[in-house]
Amino acid sequence: MKQNCAPPGPARKGRRRNLAYPYLFIAPFYLLFLIFQLYPMIWSLVLSFYKWNGIGPQTFVGLKNYQRVLTDQMFWDSMVNTMWYLAANLIFILPLSVLLGQLLCTRAVKGRKLHKTVQILPYITSTAAAGLIFSMLFDTNIGVVNGMLSSLGLEPLPWLTSMELSKVPVMILSIWRNTPWYMLIVMSAILSVDANLYEAAVMDGANALQRMVNITLPSIRSVLLFSLINLTIDSARIFTEPYILTKGGPGSSSLSVVQYLYTTAFDSFQLGYASTIGYMLTLVLLVVSVGYFISLRRQSEE
Amino acid sequence: MERRKKWAAQLVPNLCMVFFSVIALFPLCWVFLTAFQPTDQGVSFVLPDILAKGFTLRNFERVSELIPLWQNFWNSVVVSVVGTVLTLFFCALAGYAFAKFQFPGRDMLFLLLLFTMVIPQEVCIVPLFVVMRRLGWIDSMLSLIIPRAATAVGIFYMRQYISQYPTEIIEQARIDGCREFSIFCRIVAPGITPALASWGAISLIARWNDFMLPMIFLRDPQKQTLMVAISQLPVSDGLSTPWPVVMAGIAIATVPLLAAFVVLQRYDIADLMAGSTKG
Repeated sequence: MKQNCAPPGPARKGRRRNLAYPYLFIAPFYLLFLIFQLYPMIWSLVLSFYKWNGIGPQTFVGLKNYQRVLTDQMFWDSMVNTMWYLAANLIFILPLSVLLGQLLCTRAVKGRKLHKTVQILPYITSTAAAGLIFSMLFDTNIGVVNGMLSSLGLEPLPWLTSMELSKVPVMILSIWRNTPWYMLIVMSAILSVDANLYEAAVMDGANALQRMVNITLPSIRSVLLFSLINLTIDSARIFTEPYILTKGGPGSSSLSVVQYLYTTAFDSFQLGYASTIGYMLTLVLLVVSVGYFISLRRQSEE
Repeated sequence: MERRKKWAAQLVPNLCMVFFSVIALFPLCWVFLTAFQPTDQGVSFVLPDILAKGFTLRNFERVSELIPLWQNFWNSVVVSVVGTVLTLFFCALAGYAFAKFQFPGRDMLFLLLLFTMVIPQEVCIVPLFVVMRRLGWIDSMLSLIIPRAATAVGIFYMRQYISQYPTEIIEQARIDGCREFSIFCRIVAPGITPALASWGAISLIARWNDFMLPMIFLRDPQKQTLMVAISQLPVSDGLSTPWPVVMAGIAIATVPLLAAFVVLQRYDIADLMAGSTKG
């Protein structure tokens, strides 16, 4: 780290003129982290061994909350639903973002700038607002979706009010609203792929599909990995979509884990048990998080 | 044969693109097709009927009767704008320190920062709520602005960008006797405007659209942000959902951001945003 004898030039960054400045500059983040993240996290862990309604005394219950969560049907329903949402997001958002990113980089496509603006609009619409729009579109009686089905001669479906279908609008909303973000990431990666590779491939007579499989996908692999892990963590935290569209129902057929945590904490005031649910989700996410951490570290080293 | 193939190569991507753009626009169109319909005769979802029904601004008035609309709108503006300005300042400052200074513990501190990104905030929402209650920040916009005044992602992004900024310029300013803080304000900050613009856009969108935390921390209807207030419209007006009124509310809540984005499109915010996520 010492660069007393280092040659002048770009390598000689940051002399030890005044050591206090960099610490001063980064201090706000660590201060906020201590108060609003680390402290609540530790407290949350402690709280997960207690029973507390938020006002009265806290009673230590040992592992009871954890025993309860393992046999809690509602919790497992919400966990399975969350996995469904996660799977749908991974299956649709990643391929769609590659396809859209590629289309927006294809010269043959007319009006690319306009299309790009249009594609980003769902991301600028808030999830809550989009949720309200979708709950109107998927309404059983007056909704446009059922209107289109009946004009095709099909039976209208109870999208938001049946156990079998209630997850579908939630998935569609999540895909519609989150694809643009990943499309932007993938698009910028595609743009930075060496154009000479494509020219050589065209010369060799490779078609669009071959170019995609043999050049584009391998070149943007690290960005795809980043998106995959990022999307996994984001999807596991899904809340607003089911909260607005279905309130988690009917029954618990579309309830997500974070939504169950929210109701446990702020509707039925079981703050200790809510913390336990939070830590169960953390446990599931831990494996993914480690992968996320490693991939980010590798990227920051590049 | 060859010509036909070439023609297909032109047509297929264009058709695909148009198809996806229609899907992206479809739900948004219904906001405007519904928001101006009179409520008294039920909502119509067939285009000729909508045109025949005429045009009313009554729904927008109704929104302002059901919720304290302008107060909520103002709250959203304050939370988003003040929050974005603060986060830009503190993230750029810390990013600058990580990019251009060498100090003991730098790499360890940066690793810690990266690790905080993967902790889902929702997990500790219960203690966070209690912390806010103790600070007296429930029903205060501080609860949304302060905790995110410096975010790990923002610092990470700023560091990536500032690393590419020429160190010589900073060194020269130091030799000229510039103080550290004014080097940041007068030299580094103006030099990284593209990064500030793109991170500003991302952060503004995220804050304006934020839902879960404002819903938990701001309980008083007068103190709520617009998104939370709008989400309560469906249940606020009797038994059946007054869709035209809800859509009018959504139009008020989303149009400012959509319009700003389309207008700013000539500065290519999308490209900046795309570039910003590379790191």
